[in-house]
Amino acid sequence: MPNVFALPVFFICFRECLETSIIVSVLLAFLKQTLGPEDKNNNNASVHKRLVRQIWCGVGAGVAVCVIICVGVIASFYTAGRNAFEAAEHIWEGVFGILASLIITLMGAALLRVNKMQDKWRVKISKVLERRDAKLPIQGRLKRWSEKYAMFILPFVTVLREGIEAVLFIAGVGLGLPATSFPLAVLCGLGAGALVGYLIYKGGNRTSLQIFLVVSTGFLYLVAAGLFSKGVWNLEMHAWVQLAGEGAAEAGSGPGSYDIRKSVWHVNCCSPLDNGSGGWGIFNSLFGWQNSATYGSVISYNLYWLAVIVGFLFLGWKERKGGSGAQPSTEESDDTSSGHVEVAGKKTSDEGIMIGTAVREVK
Amino acid sequence: MALSLSNFLLPLALLLSSTARCATVTYDFDVGWTYANPDGQRTRPVMGINGQWPIPPIVATKGDQVIVNVKNSLGNESTSLHFHGLYMNGTSHMDGVIAVTQCGIPPGSSFTYNFTVDQPGTYWYHTHERGQYPDGLRGPLIIHDPEDPHQDLYDEEIVLTLSDWYHDLMHGLLASFMSVANPSGAEPVPQAALFNDTQDLAVRVEPGKTYLFRMVNMGAFAAQYVWFEEHTMRIVEVDGVYTEPMEADMIYLTAAQRCSVLVTAKNDTSANFAFVGSMDQDLFDAVPDGLNPNVTGWLVYDDSKEKPAPKLIDAFEPFDDFELVPYDQEELLDRVDHSITLDLKMDNLADGANYAFFNDITYVHPKVPTLYTVLSTGPNATNPIIYGENTNAFVLAQNQVIEIILNNDDPGKHPFHLHGHAFQVITRSPDDAGFYDPANTPEPPSTPMRRDTILVRPNGHTVLRFRSDNPGVWLFHCHIEWHVASGLVATIVESPLAVQAQLMDSIPSDHWDVCAAAGVPTQGNAAGNVGDLADLRGANVAPGRIPDGFTARGIVALVFSCISALVGLAVIGWYGFKPV
Repeated sequence: MPNVFALPVFFICFRECLETSIIVSVLLAFLKQTLGPEDKNNNNASVHKRLVRQIWCGVGAGVAVCVIICVGVIASFYTAGRNAFEAAEHIWEGVFGILASLIITLMGAALLRVNKMQDKWRVKISKVLERRDAKLPIQGRLKRWSEKYAMFILPFVTVLREGIEAVLFIAGVGLGLPATSFPLAVLCGLGAGALVGYLIYKGGNRTSLQIFLVVSTGFLYLVAAGLFSKGVWNLEMHAWVQLAGEGAAEAGSGPGSYDIRKSVWHVNCCSPLDNGSGGWGIFNSLFGWQNSATYGSVISYNLYWLAVIVGFLFLGWKERKGGSGAQPSTEESDDTSSGHVEVAGKKTSDEGIMIGTAVREVK
Repeated sequence: MALSLSNFLLPLALLLSSTARCATVTYDFDVGWTYANPDGQRTRPVMGINGQWPIPPIVATKGDQVIVNVKNSLGNESTSLHFHGLYMNGTSHMDGVIAVTQCGIPPGSSFTYNFTVDQPGTYWYHTHERGQYPDGLRGPLIIHDPEDPHQDLYDEEIVLTLSDWYHDLMHGLLASFMSVANPSGAEPVPQAALFNDTQDLAVRVEPGKTYLFRMVNMGAFAAQYVWFEEHTMRIVEVDGVYTEPMEADMIYLTAAQRCSVLVTAKNDTSANFAFVGSMDQDLFDAVPDGLNPNVTGWLVYDDSKEKPAPKLIDAFEPFDDFELVPYDQEELLDRVDHSITLDLKMDNLADGANYAFFNDITYVHPKVPTLYTVLSTGPNATNPIIYGENTNAFVLAQNQVIEIILNNDDPGKHPFHLHGHAFQVITRSPDDAGFYDPANTPEPPSTPMRRDTILVRPNGHTVLRFRSDNPGVWLFHCHIEWHVASGLVATIVESPLAVQAQLMDSIPSDHWDVCAAAGVPTQGNAAGNVGDLADLRGANVAPGRIPDGFTARGIVALVFSCISALVGLAVIGWYGFKPV
């Protein structure tokens, strides 16, 4: 199964697609509110139709560009980069694994506050549109173009950004995975993300949605913990291969395939690298299972969870503290904080701030 | 380059002196470090004798008493001398094996080997300290025979030693070989091959004459294919056993094997001919770039003619030594009294290094040399337990037919050597034949080949037989020096009560002196316990086994990891469902 379905890839696609679909849904809802199609008499209907088309064109164009970038990355990886990658395989896998794990960790909490994400985007969009009104008198050509196509640019940029993010994460997570494991995982991730986005748009059953989100966030963190531990494991493995040379590679999963001095457990079976031991591969991608655990991989796994636990408790505590305080100002300050980061053009650090300094989010 | 050759071209006068029986041949060997550069690539420290390297051959005549006075001037290593292939009948204590028949001779100490040679043939001598002889302390040992049945077939004899050669000292090589960084047990690959401890050896021959080439592989590791271009060899002796002459175009000589061949020179002097030794690269884990596995010599008919480069050959097709028939026609020992099965395998132990095992036991030398355990334990000496759990000790009764069934559960070639005996080779399988199964084995020859070192093929087996007519403590081991270090050794305690009768009060005092100087106990069982001989606490043992699967440590780690994951998930759930 790990050969046909890469779980981390699924979760990344799901996560990115969900955010995109939330934005799109917010945009659609916004149009529906301001230029409701029920008012069939005036020309609003045609405007509405045009703007909706703009949105979908934006989404389409974003996806198209993403696909191109994705193809580029894959092509360059499998042509030029493959050798360089294989030479230091364990270092690449280790570093990308740890990076991906950290980023997933920082993004993950946002999934649990999807409604807040919705609010955030609603504020952001209305700001953009308000700005259009405010700046209407100025007749720059560029300005007018961007006014006219705001409904195209917004989803286009969003999709592009989320898409590139997804491509980079997948590249990081999936370095060691077989190419066959990607397509299904990507499709399912995108599908699930779109579905949840649609449910949010429809404002369906909030409770079951929340259950779904919590469960998938839980999985996301399991994956991230595994990635983190496996990243450390990979770095240690690199050091071992440097030391033991071919001997290590030759040994398969038996003695010599690992550094006995750092071993916490080693079972001569159940290796996620063995072909045909599918279950252990799932175990590996889901929970970072290794048939050969090291002090590094075990300790890093536990430290990761410790950090996550402390982080969430801190978030919860801050929310409770903030909740009893100045509630009305939420939207305002939230927007300024994330808007500020937005200007800097760093989406990831935006997400980072959501966890790290969720105070501002909620205040 | 042919400087050393004169050492080996032994005067025929010695052969003719058959009247002078039972002479005493004395050698005074001062073993010390010197420098040498035999392959022209690197000068390195080597263990020489009396400041010389290559070390001198020991030459004697059948029936002679040989006395070798050894002084260890190495300064930094203990040493010993083992006379490879000599049966040492009645003088097991002169076999020279450290921790088995003596204590190592510590730096500054002296030791005398004194024995009678009653067997003619081609032998060699080398130190039997752990992994030491590849540093250079090995040389040929030739016992001439006034009654040599082949003496009319040749005019002159030439000793031709073969060896692999390392540029680094064994001490460092052993440390990296037996280390956690070498989990596959890849043996260090030699840097060169040598003929008579040099390369491009010129051997002057006269047309029409027949020469007896006494070939000895003194290498640490590599077996060598040997052939003479456009000359046919006739094998007349292997490992000190005369054989019916048999023709061979190429022979295969493992480490420690010897083979004497007759080569008749051509009748014209129009050209010189190369002869080649080529290391068997199947033994090497990885062949380094730039390794020249070959060493070349020339049969020089005419000094003024060129020495042609050896020709490439299509394939190695050596003579199968199993075909040989001993000259004395000794018949098959067909009633086996005691059969010993040794299953060979390689595996890693808890220190991460790769070890070699007989029947799941890797050899670790006992605290008390095994011979001294025999001598100090009275009637208990027949109990194999007292020799320690890591010595693979087998106690043999006197005058029985002993069979060793060796199953090689390893994809490597191994040359096995038995001290104190030449054995009959009953069967030897091709590669990958698996373990010995009598039902599937061809009838043994009626007069089987005998020798003291036998090649066992990858994942194959061999069966050896001998009569336990030589009381003593004898090792049976792979003669790849790396595998001696990794424990591919068994101890044969042959007729221990007879050993006591022979040697009880006749161990020379220098034997006890070197033990005292080295601080090695000489009484009691393998652990040095004198009172309760079954008590082996404190004995030398191998590192523990690598545990299969989970140990307590692993279970704790896994449970702890699961708990922290579950708590983490619970916290995420709490946060996720918390009303905002």
